[in-house]
Amino acid sequence: MTVNARRPLGWAALVAALVAYPFVDRVLGFQTVHAVSDGMIYVLLALGLNIVVGYAGLLDLGYAAFFAIGAYSMGLLNSPVLGSPLYGHAWSFWVCIWIAAAVSALLGVAIGAPTLRVRGDYLAIITLGFGEIIPVAIRNLGDVTIEIGSWRPIERLNLTGGENGVNPVGRPYLPGVPFETDPVPWYFLILVIGAASLWAMNRLRDSRLGRAWMAIREDETAADCMGVNPISTKLLAFALGASFSGFAGSVYAAKLQAITPGAFEFQVSIMLLCMVVLGGAGSLKGVILGGMLITLFDRVVLTQTTFMVRALGRTLGVSALATADLTLWRWFFFGLGLVLVMVLRPQGLGGRRLSPAPIADDAEDPTSPDVASAPRVDAIPGWLRERARGGVAASPAILDVRGVTKRFGGVIALNEIDLVVPHGAIIGLIGPNGAGKTTFFNVVTGLVRPDAGRITFDGANLVGLRPNAVVARGIARTFQSIRLFQNMTVLENALVGEHCRLAATVPGAVLRPPAVIAEEARAHARARELLEFVGLGGKEHELARNLPYGDQRRLEIARALATEPRLLLLDEPSAGMNPREAETLTDLIGLLRRELALSVLLIEHHMEVVMGISDRITVLDYGTRIAEGPPAAIQRDARVIEAYLGTGYEQDLASRTSAS
Amino acid sequence: MAWWEVLVQQTINGLTRGAVFALIALGYTMVYGIIELINFAHGDVFMLGLFVSLAWFTLLGATQTLTGWQLVTVLPLVFLLTMLTTAVLNVAIDRAAYRPLRRSTRLAPLITAIGVSFMLENVALLWKGPAPIAYPDVFPSVDILREWFGVDSAIFVTTKDLLVVGATIPLMLALHYFVSRTTWGKAMRATAQDRETAEAMGINVERTILMTFFIGGALAGAAGLIQGMYYNIGQWWMGYQAGLRAFTAAVLGGIGNMAGAALGGFFIGFLSAWSDQYISARWTNAIVFAILILVLVFRPHGLMGERTPEKV
Repeated sequence: MTVNARRPLGWAALVAALVAYPFVDRVLGFQTVHAVSDGMIYVLLALGLNIVVGYAGLLDLGYAAFFAIGAYSMGLLNSPVLGSPLYGHAWSFWVCIWIAAAVSALLGVAIGAPTLRVRGDYLAIITLGFGEIIPVAIRNLGDVTIEIGSWRPIERLNLTGGENGVNPVGRPYLPGVPFETDPVPWYFLILVIGAASLWAMNRLRDSRLGRAWMAIREDETAADCMGVNPISTKLLAFALGASFSGFAGSVYAAKLQAITPGAFEFQVSIMLLCMVVLGGAGSLKGVILGGMLITLFDRVVLTQTTFMVRALGRTLGVSALATADLTLWRWFFFGLGLVLVMVLRPQGLGGRRLSPAPIADDAEDPTSPDVASAPRVDAIPGWLRERARGGVAASPAILDVRGVTKRFGGVIALNEIDLVVPHGAIIGLIGPNGAGKTTFFNVVTGLVRPDAGRITFDGANLVGLRPNAVVARGIARTFQSIRLFQNMTVLENALVGEHCRLAATVPGAVLRPPAVIAEEARAHARARELLEFVGLGGKEHELARNLPYGDQRRLEIARALATEPRLLLLDEPSAGMNPREAETLTDLIGLLRRELALSVLLIEHHMEVVMGISDRITVLDYGTRIAEGPPAAIQRDARVIEAYLGTGYEQDLASRTSAS
Repeated sequence: MAWWEVLVQQTINGLTRGAVFALIALGYTMVYGIIELINFAHGDVFMLGLFVSLAWFTLLGATQTLTGWQLVTVLPLVFLLTMLTTAVLNVAIDRAAYRPLRRSTRLAPLITAIGVSFMLENVALLWKGPAPIAYPDVFPSVDILREWFGVDSAIFVTTKDLLVVGATIPLMLALHYFVSRTTWGKAMRATAQDRETAEAMGINVERTILMTFFIGGALAGAAGLIQGMYYNIGQWWMGYQAGLRAFTAAVLGGIGNMAGAALGGFFIGFLSAWSDQYISARWTNAIVFAILILVLVFRPHGLMGERTPEKV
């Protein structure tokens, strides 16, 4: 209660302080408003970079390129140097700032597009390459001469102002506001842009799009298999991150009245990265803090310390100290800061995210009270029931796989496999390790494209669809080795599952019209019901990586159910479970089929589980189907016993069944 | 100069440039092969190699052009001392900035590598100042075609060109022998393939990584020394650009592939020399980066083939 009562008060105090600051500064004669405004521009840039680095987890080493594009868009459109028709019009700053943001966003997409197929550290180098090319291009395009032999189609063409840059740049115009003479209007202009950006970023983070970014950051493949389109998600991060730097760049150009290519070098990108890393990637408050600390350090601490060291040197008569200049060490300190933060506190000052999961060898904890209660019929979320009722079968089988073949080099991982899952059936898929079971799942879910064969889901072809499109059709999967979004909460994991069933776009996520609010409320309610159903009620706000092993398996199932599937692919769901837990799991699968008419394809090594609930079983060995039939027949099949079950199996199963 | 003389001259330029890139690229590719880290600071180790070698020459009192017996005593000694210094520096960088992050995300050590790079550049800036430093002309420069063969040609080949090739090729051959024939080399190849299995087979992985950084640093030091003797100039920021070009070379050859890195180095050498001549020196950087981006996007395993045959 007291906390809630204090929060608006705290906000009011903050706003009052921010508004009062320039006037207090003037009265006291500090003259710091200019410097603070410049610092705020860099903080805004760091916040934009945070979308790319902190949320989407894409290390961008060339972010200054977007800053340059923003500044040059403003400069070239709103300066007389290159004969821009917009210069001198009262409204042109207010128009150019939007053009600058749009151009930056477009460039973000252009730079983002080729990087999408590239791994994380290669992507970083590519962004660095672009960050280098842009200033080089700006410098050189100030004086273009093309000479082919003696033919000169273009001679000394000036496109960008070259090394001299662009000067002057038009100021913004508002009636009665002295942008020409006074730093205070600039302060408020930047404050308003910064606050609006922060507001928008905060809302984006808590939207379906923000969750998708973080899911991509945590595990791109798993996100793809939960219905998040990695390509559009990454491009969106690049575009939005760039658009904020478009705002920052255009204000920078107009405030400084001059831009030169030297202001957008690699060092600027790294200083911004320092702000994000120091503050804590992914944390808005942290990045603001990091930005303020680094600006303060750069502009105040280094110079003031230099004065002090010199004074000390003069008093002591040490000439080395008396002439010292610590500002020459600034890049040394930035570098040292990056190393120290990454080694000592990789989550930054304000963040809790982005730290790696502990190596998971403590998977099975015998002491954990990890026995979930048996799933109950009445706990099944009502909406899931409704979904199940809604479906109309377009074909007799929900999944129909014919002649699917997949080769890896010379190895035939799958050899003309046929497999049919009738509506509402549970089909087991067994076989020795390396038989191709998981490859089969990967082929069905679109992770791996088959070399030959047909896959139809409810009458429609699946071959060639990306995993996220397959999920949207109604197939969800779990993974053999658990692939949760480790540094997201349990609730967020389930919400990512709903991603492809939600519709909010960027304007929706930022402006939150009633439809989006209702959609989010419904999504949260559904996620909570699902978590309750699988036995994770009360753990919504724990990080996924802190869950005990059995809970992680259950969360994977909840996340898969959140995609509203009609076919569920479970890859060894009872791996690492004790017999009791495996039994609970069997009950859960049976319940899903009985109550929701959900079809299930199950890879399993626990014979009690797979023989107990499967309608039919397919056996793979070395990529070939060696048997197919009801469990009883499979258990007696000579080839299956030889290849997989082993000769002692029947007696073993019989004795275990009689014992229990 | 006739057009073919220009081409030959620029190709010779490319060869000497490429030899330096190749030595640096080998360090990149070895470290990447073994711990999957783009050692961003590697270019700056090369730059410090130039500065350190100058310091050793000065310490040994050899600041004039070396003559006769000095060429076979002082010069090898400076090679050894420089390579030792940068090798120890490279190992120290690994211990301080990368080793604590072995079990972290892939991007964490890349970020610290950038931090180290900035620190090294700043140290060099404060040590030698922002202006280019003059590197004494310690290696005798003789116009081979004219003075040895009496050929009057516009093409200019000197003993320095021979030095570059004569120092680089033996180093590469020694490295190849070390990696393919010795127990240490076998340990490095095994660790590069699968660190955990190598550890389970009794290989001391941390010591193998240390050895990798040691060798990489030594090669970068040799490259710095060669660069200094050849061009007689050095600047605090030269490591950044050379490092990125060498990294491009390593990527072209298929990162982790040592023969590929060496060939990639020569390729980038030729390319940059030709670009300087036929397009414009001010566009060369953009062209090299454009190639880097295109290769990373379309042929991430390099131009030499699908998979890295000899991954270290």
